[in-house]
Amino acid sequence: MSAGPYRPPRAEDAVLGKMPGAVAEPASIEEAAAVVAETSRDGKSLLFAGGGTDLEVGGAPEALDVLLSTRRLDRVAEHAPSDQIAVVEAGVPLAVLAQVLAARGQRLALDPPLPERATVGGVIAANAFGPRRARYGTARDLLIGVTLVRADGRLARGGGKVVKNVAGFDMPRLMTGSLGTLGLIATATFRLHPLPEASATLSVAGLAPGMLRALLGRIRDAQLEPDSVVAFRTGGGRFDLAVRFEGFRPSVAAQRDRLARLCGEASLGIEALDEAAARALWERHDEARRAGTVRVKVAALPSALDSVERGVFAPLADALGDAACVWYPTLGIGFAGGSPRDAASVAAAAAALPSARRTLAESGGSLVLLAAPEAVRTAVDPWGDAPSAVSLMRAVKLRLDPGRRLAPGRFVAGI
Amino acid sequence: MSIAAVGGLAGRMAEIVGERHVLADPAELSTYECDGLTGYRVRPALVVLPGSTEEVAAVVKAARAAGAPIVPRGAGTGLSGGALPVEGAVVVALSRMKRILEIDLENGWMRVEPGVINLDVSKAIGARGFYYAPDPSSQSVCTIGGNVAENSGGAHCLKYGFTVHHVRGARVVLADGSVVDLGGPVLDAPGYDLLGVVVGSEGLLGIVTEVVLRILRKPEATRTFFATFPSTDEAGAAVSAIIASGIVPAAIEMMDRLAIAAAKAATGLDWPDVGAALLMDADGPASEVELTSENAIELARKAGAIEIRRPRDEAERQLMWKGRKSAFAAVGRISPNYFVQDGVIPRSEIARVLREIGEMAARAGLRVANVFHAGDGNLHPLVLYDAALPGQEKAAEELGGDILRLCVRYGGSITGEHGVGSDKAPYMAVMFSEDDLDTMGLVRCAFDPELALNPGKVFPTPRLCGDKPGPFRPHPEEAAGRIWRE
Ligand SMILES: Cc1cc2nc3c(=O)[nH]c(=O)nc-3n(C[C@H](O)[C@H](O)[C@H](O)COP(=O)(O)OP(=O)(O)OC[C@H]3O[C@@H](n4cnc5c(N)ncnc54)[C@H](O)[C@@H]3O)c2cc1C
Repeated sequence: MSAGPYRPPRAEDAVLGKMPGAVAEPASIEEAAAVVAETSRDGKSLLFAGGGTDLEVGGAPEALDVLLSTRRLDRVAEHAPSDQIAVVEAGVPLAVLAQVLAARGQRLALDPPLPERATVGGVIAANAFGPRRARYGTARDLLIGVTLVRADGRLARGGGKVVKNVAGFDMPRLMTGSLGTLGLIATATFRLHPLPEASATLSVAGLAPGMLRALLGRIRDAQLEPDSVVAFRTGGGRFDLAVRFEGFRPSVAAQRDRLARLCGEASLGIEALDEAAARALWERHDEARRAGTVRVKVAALPSALDSVERGVFAPLADALGDAACVWYPTLGIGFAGGSPRDAASVAAAAAALPSARRTLAESGGSLVLLAAPEAVRTAVDPWGDAPSAVSLMRAVKLRLDPGRRLAPGRFVAGI
Repeated sequence: MSIAAVGGLAGRMAEIVGERHVLADPAELSTYECDGLTGYRVRPALVVLPGSTEEVAAVVKAARAAGAPIVPRGAGTGLSGGALPVEGAVVVALSRMKRILEIDLENGWMRVEPGVINLDVSKAIGARGFYYAPDPSSQSVCTIGGNVAENSGGAHCLKYGFTVHHVRGARVVLADGSVVDLGGPVLDAPGYDLLGVVVGSEGLLGIVTEVVLRILRKPEATRTFFATFPSTDEAGAAVSAIIASGIVPAAIEMMDRLAIAAAKAATGLDWPDVGAALLMDADGPASEVELTSENAIELARKAGAIEIRRPRDEAERQLMWKGRKSAFAAVGRISPNYFVQDGVIPRSEIARVLREIGEMAARAGLRVANVFHAGDGNLHPLVLYDAALPGQEKAAEELGGDILRLCVRYGGSITGEHGVGSDKAPYMAVMFSEDDLDTMGLVRCAFDPELALNPGKVFPTPRLCGDKPGPFRPHPEEAAGRIWRE
């Protein structure tokens, strides 16, 4: 292996217990491409890493010759405020990007936890998201162009720099959520949004699943357009609902007051949070999303909260002693995390997960293991049953990475 | 294909879909010779109209067994020759599959067959206060299957996004006749986002036989205004100023002098004779649209608007939109022939690019009318010509091509919503490098290694797929049956 951007691995480079043979930290896209091309010639396996916030997602890598860190691919190559787009290298942390964009009154509407560490490339690869997904979607919806380094080291571009564009296959979407198994996301072009003039967060405490559903129905019927809607599970299967409106001042105020009235009519106590309390609440959200050594993501229909509570959240909380559970009621997606105290609780978690997964699968949902100690991992497949299109997914993988060198074993069904 | 072979295949198809639903008669086939791009025509060997996913799968298998290429087709309104048949092809027309299968308002989705007309989706749920957002101007005739294949847009995509943002799942018949489900009513199904790739794949990756659409609660209020300007310079500046202020209009459409004249001639609207006009919708909570609409009007005035008109009622508003939506066809009233072009530029360059297009047209001795989605820089230059004049058609075609190159030079795209099809396949190489195209080609090979689905579209020079990739490095896990090999 040539010198160049390589350095010897350190203890903290291990991924799920596996030490890489070497670590490459290329300082440019071209250098990154050269590293990938070299591994291709040598038949070496590769794992791409950004801020390392989601490296535990999926199966442990079957082989890990070279860890390619995007840490030094850290340029915001272009910000065109009047076109509301930015071209960003993969290693830029979200918080850094946010600062650059805010200087011109804009933002990338992606708000997953740990923005100081999470990089643009990693967020795309993991399709990571936060509460604003309720309005803006995920990277899938905001990524309009991508430059990737293919498994053979060649550079390929998909999409473009304009929001509206249907020329060719949608490579940005294919890369979104592919966890580095199809190629290295080297640069990303995003659609941006204006920073809102005002923001208001309201909270309604102690809702049972049925009450939560009813309230959401009222919000929808009142044609309110919240930017974030998040429910935090509290004891006894109840949920605290947080709703955030963002936009122009008068409209934020009007929507806030309207929601307060709706709650009043339904005899629900609602609290409009001041700025500090709102900040604390959204921090609590981020903490809940990262809580625990066992963390799962669940997906179901929004109307299925009752069965998610009984079949997933409650049993997991029991098994783990306690669990932080967050539910996005307009999306039908939830996260649960907790730390088993002893071997018995590890075993209980390992036993609870498959049945939780079955409950979800019965109505077309899924459960994905985001993090777990070895003992749970060996008992529970991180992804669950292979999807209907698994052979097609394998075919895509093998066409783009014929040597199966990129994060082998990490993705769905052992891809 | 020989006549006998066609006859044999027709018989086989009739067994699958019923004799009535197989067209082999030249007169019947002629309807299917082209799509909305009427300048190109190829007669297919057969047209088959299946009635279910199972029938589509069987039809695909039968066509493949006979070695015939397959061309999927919706309503045939596509403007890039995407549904243009190739020699010896079996056209699979989805127009019989037009049932709405399931509606789930609480969870915001419905399941439809691909032959459902776009507007019929919103009609089915409108009374209950819901709608389907993507609204191509052709929405009263085009199909959801065609929309999915083209990733169609519409005026209101500026705020709401394109078809891809409103499709949650699809059942797809692949080139080998197998059936897969991609996505579904529940979000975030584990695996690659193959749905995101199938949307916009122009019939090359599979035949969509069911679609799960995302449906939205109607916005509380909509405010519309029509603003006139001395020229597209001021109108372009107004668009930039509105967007820069943080307003996200639901739609903001521009028309230039020729387009305004054409729309007037077609609808009898009393629009003035001006250099440019904008039609803007703001929608959302009433408290918001009152504000954003008035602010946008103020910005339009500052940018040089001559006159602002607000519709008095919904009927007048619909009329304004009718003027805009009929502008394409209306151009037929001011020119014997025209090409519809579709390209994208960064929004901030609208005024500059329109001026350049005007100069290019003048040099070519042609006229160009512009009516387009200004908010996202999606131009629709209509190149006017008279086919009766020698050389004009060719000059018009060349001008159309030059406009695409101009879009790419400004960092834009050769198509914002009409697709590449057969028409623009050569221009893909203007926008993408060989490696870019090769990579897309690899994706196609994964779906359709024999390139049997809609050949001749999108790719300027198709990549041959070769064998399935390998050699596959065996892994210990493989022995344990945990991993796979193909
Ligand atoms: C007057 C007019 C205005 C228009 N305005 C707009 C506009 O505002 N925005 C816009 O985006 N487009 C517009 N279009 C273009 C066109 O209407 C759209 O591209 C539309 O989505 C095509 O739908 P269709 O059912 O007619 O498909 P077709 O033209 O029949 O087919 C289009 C493509 O889709 C493929 N296809 C069709 N059905 C399937 C299926 N079930 N599975 C897989 N592939 C399939 C075909 O092979 C072809 O490649 C306009 C067209 C006209 C004539």
